[in-house]
Amino acid sequence: MKLYEDYKDHADFLTIYIREAHPIDEWRMKSNEKDKDDVCYVQPKNLEQRVAIANDFTKRFKFSVPFGIDDMSNAANDAFAAWPERLYVLDEMGRVSYKGGNGPFKYDPKEVRAWLAQRFGEVKHEEPAKTAEAR
Amino acid sequence: MGKWIAIIVAVLVVGLVTLLSVMAGSPKDALYMVRYALPYMHRGNLRVGDNAPDVTLVALDGSSRFQLRSELHGKPLVLVFGSFT
Repeated sequence: MKLYEDYKDHADFLTIYIREAHPIDEWRMKSNEKDKDDVCYVQPKNLEQRVAIANDFTKRFKFSVPFGIDDMSNAANDAFAAWPERLYVLDEMGRVSYKGGNGPFKYDPKEVRAWLAQRFGEVKHEEPAKTAEAR
Repeated sequence: MGKWIAIIVAVLVVGLVTLLSVMAGSPKDALYMVRYALPYMHRGNLRVGDNAPDVTLVALDGSSRFQLRSELHGKPLVLVFGSFT
């Protein structure tokens, strides 16, 4: 997550894993099929299943952003109206400073980047140098 | 009169189904969207300036739990909600 890499020295980040958006037993998406992204899971019925999928996710993407999982009461999801994906920024006191729209159409990391840039200035790590093989 | 009302209702239904199909990608996806997505999508009552709810979260080990606000360490906190699928 580039935003995290760019601003992790200025802000803390927390990923919150919530109920699946496109499990195979609900709104199944072609893009999740095995011949494409291979993200085929049923909607978890218990916490163990949700935790297992969350671990699959972090392992597959070597995801380094701090991570928390909503429990099966979906309390975090309900409190933040987060499903299927949403971004917030809290200030140092824990007040909502930015509330993004519901994904996928109104999920916009650029708005969070703009919030962080306004607060801390633009931060952009340089792209990794091209290797000799790539040239 | 009744005939015209039926025609108008039919046109509205076809228009709505077409709109949802375009948004979702296909008529089948539109059905799934109505069945599985719309009931869970909410604007929410939280507003800018509100205190964030201090919900309990589960760690990746599946057994440890922690409070969201315990992740506040004197810096802004970016919350990224989502799932794998």
